[in-house]
Amino acid sequence: MISRPLTLKLLSALLIFGSWEMASRAGINYAFPTFLESMGALWNLTISGQIFVAYAETLKPLVTGVLISTFIGVGIGVWVGLSEKFDWLVSPIFIIMQSAPLAALIPLVIMAYGIGITSKTFVVCIMAMPVIVLNTSGAVKNTPSSLIEMAKSYLSTEREVILKIIIPSASPVIFAGLRLGVSAGFIGAILAELKITPTGVGDIISYSRMTADYPSMYAAIFSIIVLAVLFLNVLERIEKSLFAGNDLGYVS
Amino acid sequence: MIKLIKTMLVAVFMFTTVTISSSYAKSIRIALAEPPSDELAAFFLALDRAKANGLDYEWTAFSDEELAIQSVLSGQMDIGFGTPYSAMQKSKAPIRIIYQLSKLKFFPVTTKDYNKLEDLDGEPILLHSRGGGTDSIANVIEEKLGIKFGERSYISGSANRVAALLANQAQATIIDLSNKNKIMASHGDQFNTLPMFDVDASDEALFANVDWIKANEDAVNIFVSALLSVYRDMANDPTIIRRETNPDGPIGELPEEVLAELDVFYADAVAGGLYDVNGGGEKAALADMEWYSKAGQLEGDMSTLNIEDFWYLKPLQSN
Repeated sequence: MISRPLTLKLLSALLIFGSWEMASRAGINYAFPTFLESMGALWNLTISGQIFVAYAETLKPLVTGVLISTFIGVGIGVWVGLSEKFDWLVSPIFIIMQSAPLAALIPLVIMAYGIGITSKTFVVCIMAMPVIVLNTSGAVKNTPSSLIEMAKSYLSTEREVILKIIIPSASPVIFAGLRLGVSAGFIGAILAELKITPTGVGDIISYSRMTADYPSMYAAIFSIIVLAVLFLNVLERIEKSLFAGNDLGYVS
Repeated sequence: MIKLIKTMLVAVFMFTTVTISSSYAKSIRIALAEPPSDELAAFFLALDRAKANGLDYEWTAFSDEELAIQSVLSGQMDIGFGTPYSAMQKSKAPIRIIYQLSKLKFFPVTTKDYNKLEDLDGEPILLHSRGGGTDSIANVIEEKLGIKFGERSYISGSANRVAALLANQAQATIIDLSNKNKIMASHGDQFNTLPMFDVDASDEALFANVDWIKANEDAVNIFVSALLSVYRDMANDPTIIRRETNPDGPIGELPEEVLAELDVFYADAVAGGLYDVNGGGEKAALADMEWYSKAGQLEGDMSTLNIEDFWYLKPLQSN
């Protein structure tokens, strides 16, 4: 796996977090805590166990939605890529889903699915699935024809062409779509918790904001960003284990 | 490597620079906590009267109170709507309340299974948001009556909680005066309004940075004077709101069905004791401090809290 020097990563972190600390100490906003205050709040949330209880709630719609989006999304994407008629039928739905403002759709989602885990999972899928489907279909359509012809010249069956040529060839872009989809899924999960009913990490964010506990609010936001980065790392390792040549080091 | 570091430093500098907001304003900037509605008609009438007396203003409607509070904390707005007691205590921000716009008049509405608050011991209840006004009311009910509610669920907006009641998704909730009157008028045979103790604490108040208030005393006095005149006239005749609302203003442009209900809304509100004709002042400050201490939004014993840390009374005292 491509790895970047640790010193560069530490320098980058130092610059970002140092800027955060300095900007807050400069007094630009009373509601903007310092980096150290936020990390202190994160420590308190961790010690009290509150953050784990919150993530137990948040991960339910998030993981469910991401898994559904991944398997169904990639499946639909491959089918769209292989079939012109299915492309014509299905692609416009995902293009519209991708560009629709989700915050405006949430009241409709609540009307249809209520305020429980179903609606939150649906929101995660709305955010994650379009980019996975469209990236996958684009990658499949752009498989080099020379590779397909080569496979056919070796008398490969259609199934073998799909599994051994098209999908491996499309895998870098499929996984790029998965990375974007997982990131979008995180956004959808937190948006659902903020806009539908507050549970999990979204509840920590809204309650902290309401009680002016801004360090805890920033701590919760920081933790979700860290978790998203960890998810992307796991995704990269899965990609590396499935397709050894796809070592592009996006999150390493 | 050097080039990379230089690029990062420039990015950091630009990030720091653009987040520093300008505090210069030619007119007062008001942060509303909700879009214009019938509840804000009296407020906009006061703005019209203030404008006639020389006050220049612009307003922005935020989607919730916390955003209005943060906009005032950051200096992007001058005056906000809300009850930022937690922000005043925890962030040590020099913001102070100058006027009580409305009191915390909310009502427990339940199905016919319950007749008094004590019956809700152990029962689930639907509230606005964790840490919000109705959550505070629930905390105080528990403390005063020695009961403990069952599971608390949260849906923002009294109208949405009414919808949940009607859809049988909840059996008990706490809603505002206007929605209580509507549901009891239309479905009084299905629901009860439970008797509740009086609350004098603020639901909505005007607050601002105290340094800004002192630097713009004339503008603040014009504004507070206009508010007092509207509230006092409204106490004598609630129909003035409908009659004097500017038809070309944000309230005048609301749907006709909403405008047609303004007289009823303000008659009920005045009769229900929603408004203090003197703008709240010290009485409201003490009630707020007691209430929000019991509700958990203010830390520390009531005896350790100072009014001056939360209210700036001079504008009311000079009008």
